[in-house]
Amino acid sequence: MSLFQRKLVTMLEAQLANKQTASNMEGEHSLSFSKACVPDHFLGFGLGLRTEHFQDVIDNKPAIDWFEVVSENFMVDGGKPKHYLHSIREHYPMVMHGVSLSIGSTDPINFDYLRKLKVLTNELQPEWISDHLCWTGAHEKNSHDLLPLPYNDEALTHVCQRIEQVQEFLGRPILLENVSSYLTYKSSEMTEWQFFNEVARRSGCEILLDINNIYVSARNHDFNAEDYLNGITKEKVKQFHLAGHSDYGDYVIDTHDHPVADPVWLLYQKALQRFGWISTMIERDDNIPPLAELLAEVDTARAIATKTLGSLT
Amino acid sequence: MSELSLHTLQQQMINYLIDDELTITHQVEEHGGISRDARLHIYKNAYQMRLKETIDNDHEQLGIYLGDDLFDQMVDGYIKAYPSNNTSLRNFADALPEFLANHAPFNGYPLISELAHFERLLMVAFDAADTERFTRELLIEIPHEQWPTLVFRFHPSLQICHFNFNTVETWQALKQEKAPQPATKIANTWLLWRNKQRLTQFRSISQVEFSLLEMILKGSDFSSLCDYLLTQNLEEDVSQVALNYLLAWIDDGILANR
Repeated sequence: MSLFQRKLVTMLEAQLANKQTASNMEGEHSLSFSKACVPDHFLGFGLGLRTEHFQDVIDNKPAIDWFEVVSENFMVDGGKPKHYLHSIREHYPMVMHGVSLSIGSTDPINFDYLRKLKVLTNELQPEWISDHLCWTGAHEKNSHDLLPLPYNDEALTHVCQRIEQVQEFLGRPILLENVSSYLTYKSSEMTEWQFFNEVARRSGCEILLDINNIYVSARNHDFNAEDYLNGITKEKVKQFHLAGHSDYGDYVIDTHDHPVADPVWLLYQKALQRFGWISTMIERDDNIPPLAELLAEVDTARAIATKTLGSLT
Repeated sequence: MSELSLHTLQQQMINYLIDDELTITHQVEEHGGISRDARLHIYKNAYQMRLKETIDNDHEQLGIYLGDDLFDQMVDGYIKAYPSNNTSLRNFADALPEFLANHAPFNGYPLISELAHFERLLMVAFDAADTERFTRELLIEIPHEQWPTLVFRFHPSLQICHFNFNTVETWQALKQEKAPQPATKIANTWLLWRNKQRLTQFRSISQVEFSLLEMILKGSDFSSLCDYLLTQNLEEDVSQVALNYLLAWIDDGILANR
């Protein structure tokens, strides 16, 4: 834990102690959240599973609540990574996170991709499946990037129709994640969070909030990140992502190759205050450090959540 | 906005990323401390870097063989010539051997295309489907009278490839951080597969072994394999030669349970 993170946890601890005293004086039992406040789908604190850590996880079975896997990495017929994945699945809950659904694309839905996704889903039996509220390709060309949509009625109708088709095909609701973005289209007619809420309301999908992405987009588009958090429908949020970014002063890029930055930890605390116990994970995609380093970040998330919301036990 | 608008916007963005067309600029808001061009360039840069990293990861030895300048030239040319139409980056560079065989200056050195082909086959073997393998124990259990009509099938990871140069030897030298021998024209055939330890393995094969493997791929039975071996060996040696091949394939793990 960095000095900042320790300070944050200490500060939260002090706040919690004050409230605890006040509560006791008012005759309440405890400020600690009872188990009843924890949603059924709360998985705890997890980590994005990366091939670099396979052996470590298999050999040492670290104390972590769950793993998220990138679906596309395992949509292959066989081989060593898939063998390892199944070995790890025997010991941990998992969720699947995709990057290629391209839910906002104007190309036809790629049912070949969805069939492979469904096969993997049947194999892994994940707690849930997620992808991104974006488009990745069009006109049969793939950018392999998470490109933003214009936030307007046309895109809303288009995306919702496609989500419904995807959910029907998969036989389950999906989670969609907010992406980091670097530009705003002139054709946007509403905020990203208004658009996201409406997508979730109309299509029945659920929300994966990437706290880092909110921070990155807020910096790049000059909006208040807390407005985003406060604007999102509370009941729809099922998972948080925490990740690192690269700060270039005038703009911020979502590189996922650094530890979680201090302002993102602060925003995470705000998110916890608004949404309560939400399954949280550390997502590192590049410049992968030893497992212990990422597990320490997971512990930081757990400590901040405990100090913000009270003990789970 | 009409439905055409989202369609058009996506077309313009793709055209910008792939072909440098700037029409999309007019669709982007100008605000804050960074320009529209700079905002768009973040996406352009990410697109190019992601594809370059993919080729770099898939073709580590090819990259070393070419050196930085030629590697960058190859990447730039390939990204332009073969924009990705795959869902997965796993398949993005599938056409790289073809590109190298047909575009200067790479087509002047055919070993380069063969090197790329070899590295792609290693990838195919790496994540091909799993299946139960044929074992010596299973072989022993086969009744004597069934041997002539035995038909074998291969593990799904098996790849057979022909090269015209000392391509695999070059790859091995690069992998061991040694200077490869100069490119030498020599016809050779190789077998690649994922072994029982799930590691990718390869070895060169003779013309006779290649013919046998090709016969198995076409569905020939054991007696047909022996008939072919009769054309290559003394009659009294054939059963032993056939058995030796069979046991080697079983021990290598390239035969699947029937």
